[in-house]
Amino acid sequence: MSNAAAIRPGRPALPEWVRRLPEYLTIWVPLLLSAAHLVSFSLWTIWISFTPSTLIPVTGWVGLRNYTAVAASRNWQIAFDNLLLFGCAFVVLSAATGLILAILLDQRIRGENVLRSIFLYPLAVSFVVTGTVWSWLLNPGLGIQKLVHDLGWTSFRFDWLIDRDMAIWTIVIAAIWQSSGFAMALFLAGLRSVDADIIKAAQIDGAGPVRIYRRIILPSLWPITITVVVIQLQFAISTFDLVRALTNGGPGIATQLPALVVYDLMFQRSLLGRGAAAAVLMLLILLAVLLPYAAWRYLQRRRAAHA
Amino acid sequence: MPITTTRRRLLAGSVATLALPAFARAQGAVKPRLTAISQWSAGSDGAAITALGKKFEEKGGVWQHSPVPGFTTEMMNKLRAQIMAGDPPACSQLKGPEIAAWSKIAPTVDLDAVVAAAGYEKVVAPDLAKLHKPGGKWIALPLQIYSTNMLFLSKRAMDKAKADKIPLTWADFNDLAEKMKSGGVAFPIANGGTRPDDGQKFEAALAGISPLAYRAAIMNLEKKALEGPEIKAAFAQVRKIADWMDPNVGAQHFSTNLKRFVDGDMGMMIMGGWAQGVLRNAGFKFEDFTIAPGPSDNGKPVFLLNADAFIFWQRKEPDLQAGQTLMAQLVMDPAIQTMYSQITGSIPVRTDVDLSGEGWSEGQRTTAAALKNAIASNQAVLSMAHNMAQENGMTAAMIDVITEYVKNKTIKPEQAATRLAEAVEGAR
Repeated sequence: MSNAAAIRPGRPALPEWVRRLPEYLTIWVPLLLSAAHLVSFSLWTIWISFTPSTLIPVTGWVGLRNYTAVAASRNWQIAFDNLLLFGCAFVVLSAATGLILAILLDQRIRGENVLRSIFLYPLAVSFVVTGTVWSWLLNPGLGIQKLVHDLGWTSFRFDWLIDRDMAIWTIVIAAIWQSSGFAMALFLAGLRSVDADIIKAAQIDGAGPVRIYRRIILPSLWPITITVVVIQLQFAISTFDLVRALTNGGPGIATQLPALVVYDLMFQRSLLGRGAAAAVLMLLILLAVLLPYAAWRYLQRRRAAHA
Repeated sequence: MPITTTRRRLLAGSVATLALPAFARAQGAVKPRLTAISQWSAGSDGAAITALGKKFEEKGGVWQHSPVPGFTTEMMNKLRAQIMAGDPPACSQLKGPEIAAWSKIAPTVDLDAVVAAAGYEKVVAPDLAKLHKPGGKWIALPLQIYSTNMLFLSKRAMDKAKADKIPLTWADFNDLAEKMKSGGVAFPIANGGTRPDDGQKFEAALAGISPLAYRAAIMNLEKKALEGPEIKAAFAQVRKIADWMDPNVGAQHFSTNLKRFVDGDMGMMIMGGWAQGVLRNAGFKFEDFTIAPGPSDNGKPVFLLNADAFIFWQRKEPDLQAGQTLMAQLVMDPAIQTMYSQITGSIPVRTDVDLSGEGWSEGQRTTAAALKNAIASNQAVLSMAHNMAQENGMTAAMIDVITEYVKNKTIKPEQAATRLAEAVEGAR
């Protein structure tokens, strides 16, 4: 009796599944609920995109008419071109900025924690705030241009916000400001996880710091780079609040993005069918990014298992 | 068994006790209650509907107004959600052709008896009445009228231009803008750059050039009229207006520039009568600005009609039904319309309200006279930019073209006209 108590102090034996019940509940219930929501609403949206719904959802079948109408509209075409430009520019530039910040922070400098917090801070700000603040900074009559004019340099021009060709770049700027800190954090973690022995060995072999970065550290970062790129890309595709606060698709319709078009069709024009079609097209664009990533992850895992 | 019976009796008794007050309320005089949604939350609009609510409460009603700030479409999203949930408000703001469209998705209240009792039909402009009785029965009531093409002139800018004549035609308007520019007014046009604002510039230009072409192209969507020379001329006029605006205006709301307008840093504004309410609410005086009908090339005023209205949704609750009747009576009441319009700067829907008394501005009298003249000469047309001429989808397709044209100076008027015709085809 006393022996048994010593082995299992004070607690009766519970079956394995009961002991793990809290774990199952916390993992599976939310997972199933969110999956059900995601899947059921996605299917519902796909269904609506084939109906003639306008003010409210109705049944009926119009085939691909909503899709052809959306694809033929100027708004969508501009939005799609903008997405290509914004997506590429934003992903490349924010990853590059993040990497440079991470490398600079990696030099074991004093005050690293403070600097890291500063660079990560924009991520804690809502996109609406970012958009509004940058819309003031970039407005030529209020922000940077006016400041420089007031300093005496009156020929200075920085009016991208109201220049329909350059306005999309203001969104790139604001988005980079917001999320390069995130890329930095991931890259920094990657830099710190490089095996110190390899670096030591390279140093003993007489490699300089530039060479160590170029030949040893950066090549080992590429899995993280892919993660950064995919996360930032899906952010780029679904960008909505930032543009809405910064340019609201303007000047004119020069900075439309797919998410804005979806919102506009559904909730401003009361064309639910067309809005749903645009939403499904957005989903397809997302899948075009995520499926190759999933395939790549799968292959990697298989290779790791075989090795 | 006896125990069960007792329990059941007890239960029945308590249910009856609980239900009694509700039953009594339904039998006797119910206290009218109104659930209403509108976009009017702040400024003169908010003040006006709050005043209306006070009147409703004075008559013994319970006023439950939930404003949804932003454009009308924002309010519509809430309305859509409530209708789909089977819980529409007793009354909501809605206007123009949207009344007909929305009345198809949920049952509305037949107001014919209340309207007949008030003799309202005789005092409402026929074109306007038609919009509020889509199936032949009154289901909505117009509340106030605005013209979207009123011309606001800054007194100080006029002084700078040494001009005192109100421009009547677009040629006069363009001359005055040039004079203001050379007289030191930095930007002769004070408009903002939101989508409806850009739409207004175009509709004011086209209706002023030819109300007939406006009716054919924008209200009736006739293909020939959409490709006609008047559309190109209107786009050319819009380009002039855009060139006289502050290039930094971006997508700003017109009210952002009101101070610069009053100060004479900006000269003219083509805006709806509501700007008067906004100017007054911001503390500016009637002496600071002049209001006149928008330019019209044939000399007779053109009235681009925008009318706010309430639509009434069917509810079973007796208190809500009583509230709907009370609200309908209030909205048609000349005293209420006077109170409302004096706050917002609109003109009353009733054509029999006398505007000569105190509390009315010169601008409102001018607007009312313009409406009378415009109706007489068949030059009262429905505003496109404010969703009176077409439903949302069509309006938005047109404004896409117009707003892009305003902001992109490389688009030629001919190109814009072609794009407008294409956009209309695409949205049909």
